Amino acid sequence: MIWQLDLILLLFIVICAIAAINIKDLMSAVIILGAYSFFMCLLWTEMGAVDVAFTEASVGAGIGTVLFIAAINKTARRSKD
Amino acid sequence: MKIWFKWISLIAVIMTGALLIYGTHDMPAWGDPNSPANSHVSPRYILEATKLTATPNIVSAVLADYRSYDTLGESAVIFTASISCLFLLRRIRKEKTSEDK
Amino acid sequence: MLEYVLAKYNYWIYVVLMMIGLYAMMGKRNLVKKLIGMNIFQTSIILLFVSMGVKKGGATVPILMGDGHGHGEQIIQVADYLNPLPHVLMLTAIVVSIATTGVALATLILIYKRYHTLEEDEIMAIRKEAAAYKTLGT
Repeated sequence: MIWQLDLILLLFIVICAIAAINIKDLMSAVIILGAYSFFMCLLWTEMGAVDVAFTEASVGAGIGTVLFIAAINKTARRSKD
Repeated sequence: MKIWFKWISLIAVIMTGALLIYGTHDMPAWGDPNSPANSHVSPRYILEATKLTATPNIVSAVLADYRSYDTLGESAVIFTASISCLFLLRRIRKEKTSEDK
Repeated sequence: MLEYVLAKYNYWIYVVLMMIGLYAMMGKRNLVKKLIGMNIFQTSIILLFVSMGVKKGGATVPILMGDGHGHGEQIIQVADYLNPLPHVLMLTAIVVSIATTGVALATLILIYKRYHTLEEDEIMAIRKEAAAYKTLGT
């Protein structure tokens, strides 16, 4: 448990969350959501929850991003807000 | 009306957040080894898991041995989700082919 | 005061993440943005539960030393290992959250096929127009 690493990761997570809901291009928003998931995975590794971090890295950041990108390819990429 | 709705939702979100931050006042300090969550069921898992299940990884032991019905329910949820995705996306392909004809 | 902040600042950041997700679900009108908000909300709740299992003071990952058959290990101390129970429950929660996201995205594709837009207000306008047309026709 290193508190400096903890604070930096939490800061990055909040920045990624705010960016993901404010970007108008949906593809960029989804990629930033994948980055958010990877930061979350790093945070869990740092907390000692290695199994949760494995699952998040493969399922949350991998399959989730792939599903979102597939859906956006089939629908519209622009958003109004 | 649209901008008005955004401000209303922002105020509601901030009020919810203030209520939850007030609620953290009663929670144990972060990382406290003697907090209620750390002192009731999990000591038994840590002490007996390797004797009862012969698995060094306690998380796997709890996931697949102590709480395997939970995992069964989880796989039922995934099965339902995949079947419903299949049906939702298959209907549209059929409609498309019938329109093409 | 400083001790209080140091003991609680993690919880406050989780609450901030939950507020971001809730605002995206309520205030944004694009449906994909609402889904992104739902994901952020779920991850913040999972983060809260995982962080309940943290023990300060030298606790490690919940994997026991030794060969797993009771040989070669020292006497197990509860304070040496993290709480495994929240990890197990949150493994289930992550997989269920991705299943709900998949179903929601499939529904989203259907909505786009029908209305040719993903903005909530445009969809409501189209529906209102169609309802007015229907009452006019009868």
